[in-house]
Amino acid sequence: MTAWEKARARTAPLFLLPALALLAVFVVWPLLRAAAWSFTNADLLAPGEARPVGLGNYIDLFTDARFLRAFGNTWLFALLVVPLQTALAFFLALWVDRPEPAWRWLRVVFFLPVVVSMPVLAVLWTLLYQPAQGDTMGLVNAALDLVGAPPQAWLRDPALALPAIAFMSIWQGVGLQMMVFLAGLQNVPRELLDAARIDGAGPWQRVWHVIVPSMRNTFVFVVTVTTILAFRIFVQPYLMTRGGPGNSTLSLVQSIYETTFVSQDLGRACAAALVFLALVGVLAGLQRRFSREDRE
Amino acid sequence: MGDLMFTVRPPRRFPSWPALLRLAACLFAFASAGHLAARDARVVRVWSHQGQEAENRALRESAAAFNAAHADRGMRVELTFFPDFQYAEKLAIAAAARDLPDAFDLDGPLVARFAAAGLLAPLDPHFSREELDDFLPTILEQGTVDGKLFALGSFDSALVLYYDREMFARAGVEPPPGGEAWTWSEFLAACEKLRAAGLAPLSLHMDESADEWFTYAFSPVVWSGGGALISPGAPRVRGVLASPENVRSLSAWRELFARGHAPTDPVDPDLFGKGLVAMDWTGHWMARAHLAVKGDKLGVMPLPRVGERSVAPCGSWCWGLSAQAADNEGAVAWLRWIVDAETGVVPAVRANGAVPARRSAFTAFPEYSEIPYKLFRAQLETAARARPRTPFYATLTARFAAALRDIARGADVAARLRQAEDEIQSVIDRRAPAAKEAARP
Repeated sequence: MTAWEKARARTAPLFLLPALALLAVFVVWPLLRAAAWSFTNADLLAPGEARPVGLGNYIDLFTDARFLRAFGNTWLFALLVVPLQTALAFFLALWVDRPEPAWRWLRVVFFLPVVVSMPVLAVLWTLLYQPAQGDTMGLVNAALDLVGAPPQAWLRDPALALPAIAFMSIWQGVGLQMMVFLAGLQNVPRELLDAARIDGAGPWQRVWHVIVPSMRNTFVFVVTVTTILAFRIFVQPYLMTRGGPGNSTLSLVQSIYETTFVSQDLGRACAAALVFLALVGVLAGLQRRFSREDRE
Repeated sequence: MGDLMFTVRPPRRFPSWPALLRLAACLFAFASAGHLAARDARVVRVWSHQGQEAENRALRESAAAFNAAHADRGMRVELTFFPDFQYAEKLAIAAAARDLPDAFDLDGPLVARFAAAGLLAPLDPHFSREELDDFLPTILEQGTVDGKLFALGSFDSALVLYYDREMFARAGVEPPPGGEAWTWSEFLAACEKLRAAGLAPLSLHMDESADEWFTYAFSPVVWSGGGALISPGAPRVRGVLASPENVRSLSAWRELFARGHAPTDPVDPDLFGKGLVAMDWTGHWMARAHLAVKGDKLGVMPLPRVGERSVAPCGSWCWGLSAQAADNEGAVAWLRWIVDAETGVVPAVRANGAVPARRSAFTAFPEYSEIPYKLFRAQLETAARARPRTPFYATLTARFAAALRDIARGADVAARLRQAEDEIQSVIDRRAPAAKEAARP
């Protein structure tokens, strides 16, 4: 070992110290604190008087109809959004991947909703989804009316509210994934595409057998990020329906938020948050696994 | 990659220990200086939610006046505003961190929760009986939990049915004689008449984003029908919230939407002011605007009743003292100042147009001899009821509001109320096992 290496080995921990200290204070410590509280009946207003309840909070979670509903809704939302948004983003990327300047504007248009703040979009889409009342109706219903379809109550209908929010979320988020796919498309080897063309592959065959396989990592990344974002859904249903009608758009995050600040049931909220963390952690872990296999 | 770096001689030890020690000393000095400054003067920490700008200004001026009047005693309030939207969360977090200010305002229905958690100091020792008798009964009711007074406000609220006399005349609708309320069937009949004359009858502000609007505005329907939201005493909603009386009352309420008299999804927050509806089910906060637009055409009546008598809601933001107050004397002085008729009530009411909380303050507001203000006071003196004072209020109001939203949009009344009952009761059972035992037959 050279002197420099020795010195580096000695000083490295000191350089890591600030970052580690910040991580310890703002990530590790709160997590441990939350884990400890999740086994108690801690009250948000008086966490000092918490008494241990063992696994009680976790058992209660999985017998609580409202939490289970939130769990199911969040899964359903993710199952609606992830495949549709990924596929749509991919095809949009294929479509707008052209060098002419006019197509740049199209890319901007698709990306625009990503930039606008979600609460603004939530209010906007609440208006678009307005049910028919007398002779007034939201734009979505007006469009349906134009093609002769009956107007729907969208956000007010327990069966339609979640799909309506999922649709709006896809519209909002698809631009970002499209950009990621566009970047990925630049890495598809031209010679492979040319070879496929010479071999007589049609456009669909080129997409399916050349482009998709060479963008495997991009796909894994997009699917994982979309899944994690989908599981974190909160703002749209909270602002557009407050989790209603019934509990049909109640999300996991809203349920955790309400347990913390409405019922102020800190112990149980911590348990729910840790369950949520574990869920998202497992999904992220699966992604790492997939992408690593590809690098071998 | 280390090769490139070899041209630079690495320092033998970095950072040097003396430097680290100096840094630590600096940080330590910072921390202790902060502590000393806080204990220096007799500073009363006061928190308030951020209201409309005029309200905030009035409160700041009250604080400045307090500081000027108490300068000789070295007493000073330090007023901090927090956004209304997350104020309740802010208070909860401060309580958890045992960092509540000496005095703070909070929404009336939250008093019971803070009192039950032992965070509020009782106020009875600081006010004489005569002083308390000067407050509106609703203010005392709102601040009293288990016989002890924990909060006092400088203003109260009122909810009435505003109407447009001209539109009524056009449709041939006769308002009830002064101060009386319509029965529900008279109310529905009036709506039908207005519809027949081509007028939209009513706005119920269903677009309101705050859950509290629904509980505040429509609990009176439940109460006038003889029902309740939660049992008095041991907290129990099962069999109370979805009682036959409540199903009947809220079915009557739902008729307003089912028959199309009131929009379930209004886009415009002030349909009445724009002349688009003939009646407005709303609070004192619209009085100035409605008077300005309608003038002599503005009429006002108590809320229509489902049962024997009309009930009005009440309650507003009020002030409490932290049980952990560092400077109790200063905090009490501030509270007395802010609910005093002259130094607290009059400036606050001038700014926000709410109903003065003290009888002696009404002389400063001549408009209370005329409508709609006359009705505001009359209601609070005789017909108003405070929202339930239970530690579970936050859950109750959130779940009840969700139920009301769904019912207005056509959900089955009994089934939806039972669902709300289950959701609220499960929270109560978790948080108050003792109450559960007591409620068992």
